[in-house]
Amino acid sequence: MMRQPAASWKTAILLLLLSLFVAFVAARDFRVMNAPDVFAPAEGFARKMLSEYFPPLKGTTADTPVFIREGKEPGGTVLILGGTHPVESAGILAATLFLENASVPRGRLIVIPNANAMALTHNSPQEGHPQRIHFALKDGSTRVFRYGSRATNFTDEWPFPEIYVHPASGQKLSGKERSNLNRCYPGVPDGSMTERLAFAIVELIRKEKVDLAFDLHEASPEYPVVNAIVAHERSMELAAIVTMELEGLGIPIRLEPSPKNLRGLSHREWGDSTDVLPILMETGNPSQGRLRGRTDERLVLTGEDKAYVKAAALGRLFIPYEGNQLIAYRVARHVTAIRVFVENLEMVRPGKGVTLEGIPQYEEILKQGVEAFLKPVPKKREV
Amino acid sequence: MSWIWPEGLYAAVMIGAFAAGAFRLKLPIAIAMSAAAVIGALLGGEGIPIRHLVEGAFGYIDTILIIASAMIYMKALQKTGLLESLAAFVIRKFRNSPLWLSFGLTGIVMIPGMITGSSTAAVLTAGALVAPVMMRLNVPADRAGALIAMAAIYGMIAPPVNIPAMIIGGGIDMPYVGFAGPLLACTLPLAAYSAVTLVYPYLRASGGGGEQLEQELRRMEKVPLSARLLLPVWVLVVLMAGEQFFPDVWPALGLPVDFVLAALSALASGSRFDPLEAATEAVRDSLPVMGILMGVGMFIQIMTLIGVQGFVVVSALALPSFLIYLAIATTVPLFGAISAFGAASILGVPFVLALLGKNTIVVTAAVSLIAGLGDLMPPTALAGIFAAQVIGEDNYFVVLRRCLVPGLVTAVWGIILILGANGVAAVLY
Amino acid sequence: MTFVYRLLVLVILALVIRCMFRERDFWKQATAALVVVPLVLRLLMIK
Repeated sequence: MMRQPAASWKTAILLLLLSLFVAFVAARDFRVMNAPDVFAPAEGFARKMLSEYFPPLKGTTADTPVFIREGKEPGGTVLILGGTHPVESAGILAATLFLENASVPRGRLIVIPNANAMALTHNSPQEGHPQRIHFALKDGSTRVFRYGSRATNFTDEWPFPEIYVHPASGQKLSGKERSNLNRCYPGVPDGSMTERLAFAIVELIRKEKVDLAFDLHEASPEYPVVNAIVAHERSMELAAIVTMELEGLGIPIRLEPSPKNLRGLSHREWGDSTDVLPILMETGNPSQGRLRGRTDERLVLTGEDKAYVKAAALGRLFIPYEGNQLIAYRVARHVTAIRVFVENLEMVRPGKGVTLEGIPQYEEILKQGVEAFLKPVPKKREV
Repeated sequence: MSWIWPEGLYAAVMIGAFAAGAFRLKLPIAIAMSAAAVIGALLGGEGIPIRHLVEGAFGYIDTILIIASAMIYMKALQKTGLLESLAAFVIRKFRNSPLWLSFGLTGIVMIPGMITGSSTAAVLTAGALVAPVMMRLNVPADRAGALIAMAAIYGMIAPPVNIPAMIIGGGIDMPYVGFAGPLLACTLPLAAYSAVTLVYPYLRASGGGGEQLEQELRRMEKVPLSARLLLPVWVLVVLMAGEQFFPDVWPALGLPVDFVLAALSALASGSRFDPLEAATEAVRDSLPVMGILMGVGMFIQIMTLIGVQGFVVVSALALPSFLIYLAIATTVPLFGAISAFGAASILGVPFVLALLGKNTIVVTAAVSLIAGLGDLMPPTALAGIFAAQVIGEDNYFVVLRRCLVPGLVTAVWGIILILGANGVAAVLY
Repeated sequence: MTFVYRLLVLVILALVIRCMFRERDFWKQATAALVVVPLVLRLLMIK
């Protein structure tokens, strides 16, 4: 029989109201991330949805736009996937540059700029990441891209298992990896949302008979697989040619074989379950690293960070770091590597070559910035 | 632009604000931590970033559900009278073989930690069972609490489930396979050491207790131990083991639901109690820890936002190479003051990367062991706080003081395993 | 399973609020208020 002093009730109500107010303010901020990014595809791209390859995805948060450009002359099919991990902005932007600039005289180009749309609608706790990055275009308008999370939004598949057992192999990973698209391949048609998404992407590769597929990533500068190509054994010959050619262009890049015992990743499972030549590429992105200092939009765009300068001096990094990792540099690496891969496709798949035109050159991107190759979009919202 | 400025100042102010709030103004730790986060954000020029503060707290939403539901389960066990009668049973069985009794008690505490990967779950379930046993057998409360805390941490690190190792593995793309041997090498010797040094001398000296103990035992057996009374234990064991060993067919209920279902089954175990009151009491008891985790989440998010995280991590990496082992043994547990899992993620990953020349699995296992010590580091000190709670001690520093020596031994053992990682691997594989 | 977990969040949220109203120490009430925020947002599946 505790006697409640009157003040206690009042303060409890007051504090509860305060909690609800804070929750309301936070909720408004969180929900802004639900508005999709807008793209301005180059002429000739048809817009489909991923659910057309796997209908159960229709109407779910996993569904995402797929842009297809069919060339006049028949040839092979190339797929570019950005946004597997939306914290790796150079992947999304490189895919966008192809989507907004490419013309395709021969073969077909498929671009999925936001592969895991469910990971774009939130930021991971305790990362302190910005919600968006901005680019000022020449005509005075601004292009906005969301900076999301590595993992699918909690609200799309909660709770997590304690341990994620990769269905195809029985491999055990931390439970949260079930929300990592690049651990869920080849996917499960009735699995978790992320497993279904992975399944849909593999369905697309199969149904569109994709010859060469890119999964664009970025990695922390302190992570060994960075500035790298990871290739399935089937893609190895082509990747070796490309690596040499990139060296010649002054773009040193590591070539790593896809480990056979690390399952669920695109470079392993796409190759094992379809006929495609899978390629995963990494650039160095300080804004996702664990050594990073102040975390904000500026860090994403410039990669300037004194903590990384010090870490580089200590020999802790796997990239040459001289004070920055500009977004233009990271995007230019991806764009150029893809261009060189596509130019050499005919050599390993006779009759399946693809010709891409209108793709900005390495030096052009470095000099003029990513923004020079983004197109203005109709203004949808104020941010 | 110097290295220390301004992040060093931010770090000092955030930690100072926390210490001032907690120790000078005597605010609850949760409030002091949140206030320090807000002050850090203001100082870093971020205003009061409500989105970041709330987002940071979300890092522990699943942990607080586990804590609340585990506490509800423990209250249910208490209210049915099971805890006391089970303790009496174990004392009668083993009172004459003290060495086995000390190993057995340690092992009992480790098991739920091994299965759940959570030291909190180990302390609150098995720890709560063995605490009264040890105290009836004249083990001083602080030593009983220390053994429970240490065993819970070893359980959390022992296979099959070790969340810090999974977190580090996730950070370097290493699957969680092949860890059983190294993790047993990490934990079993230490568990035996703790049992022998912390409680064995007292169990031996107690000589099985006298008439007073006998009276006590009869009182404890007021609710007779029966298969029906044990129902909530069976239900929990089946639910946890099913999910662990048959993940393909067993529904993935998760720990919170396991605990709640097992707690509900206590209603069918023959004893009467008010479930609403029991659950409210459970939540009331766990609110301080849940609040601390919310504060810690905010604190980490702001640290990361204003650059203090990179400052701390790179400063640790900048130590001369002969000091890196010392750095692992000190910074990782110290960071555990904020969170053991956070330490695995923020410091564990860079340290493992810095030691890539050695067998990565053994190094990761050993770093996870040292990260586990973070659960003894105040203010969060989850293992210490709950161990104090199960021995009925208000001041958890009483338990932590007793953990000092085994904690140091643990850190040294972890470093020895890292130094000899390749040798350990050669023996194990 | 998501529904079951939301139910669990609802129950714990209700218990936290119950404790908050029974508590006589202001700072302990404030600790409970801290825990309320993420529980409300997860209950509504906003975050």
